[in-house]
Amino acid sequence: MTDPFATAGFLGLSGALLVIGLFGILTRRNFILLLISIEIAINAAVLNFVYFAAYAPSAPIALEGQSAAVVVIALAATEIAVGLAIVLALNRVRGSINVAESSELKL
Amino acid sequence: MNLESGAFLVLAAAAVATALLALLVRELVHTILWIASFFIVLSGLYFLLQANFLGVLQLGVYAGAVTILLLFGVMTTRRRIFSREAATGIGPASIVLGAGIIAVFGILVAGLAGATTGSGPNSYPPALLSQAVFNVYGPWLLLVGFVMLAALGGAIYLVREGRE
Repeated sequence: MTDPFATAGFLGLSGALLVIGLFGILTRRNFILLLISIEIAINAAVLNFVYFAAYAPSAPIALEGQSAAVVVIALAATEIAVGLAIVLALNRVRGSINVAESSELKL
Repeated sequence: MNLESGAFLVLAAAAVATALLALLVRELVHTILWIASFFIVLSGLYFLLQANFLGVLQLGVYAGAVTILLLFGVMTTRRRIFSREAATGIGPASIVLGAGIIAVFGILVAGLAGATTGSGPNSYPPALLSQAVFNVYGPWLLLVGFVMLAALGGAIYLVREGRE
């Protein structure tokens, strides 16, 4: 499966998922939907790591890609935890998790 | 078109469709169900690429922990889970959909188990991956640990009591 069509397919899928995540980040106003959009975009990046690790020419390079994927997955889970803490704090202070209403930091 | 290409096409279409549906459905709970299926489909792609450890990690961390955390966030920030009266119980459509998904995955797994992959992706045992993570990239793992510790402290600081 080292043919160029497979590479194009995986890169296309990764790009499509990144675009979907960006679409969600730019259009959704619910904080939880924002977090989910970020997760979709991060998973698009992890898919690239895993794909190019699977077809790497040597074992150290492949394991470098997989190690990077492990680190990214751990950090994404951490980001979700902090994001949900922000959601809970926002909900307690303002009674709403709509990011358009939280505008104290706007110029 | 061999079996792996077919499996990739099915999984890629399912990934794009579930990601789009997660952002486009109206109910927040349905969003979380779709994003859980998106994570499961991505773990299927990792298994297809012979990255078995990452597939299991994706299932455990994303489809398990992150989904439950998101559901927890929805439960604690809404007075009612659904914004309108939703039909309870299991309808025929969901049964057909679930049976179809199980059948497709079963056929794929059975085919992949019997297929002889000559020039497929390279497979590496988890022992080699753990050596890479804990020896070669050990300092980075330590750095990730510090970041996670800081995130833990920050999350507790954000949600502590008596702060208005």
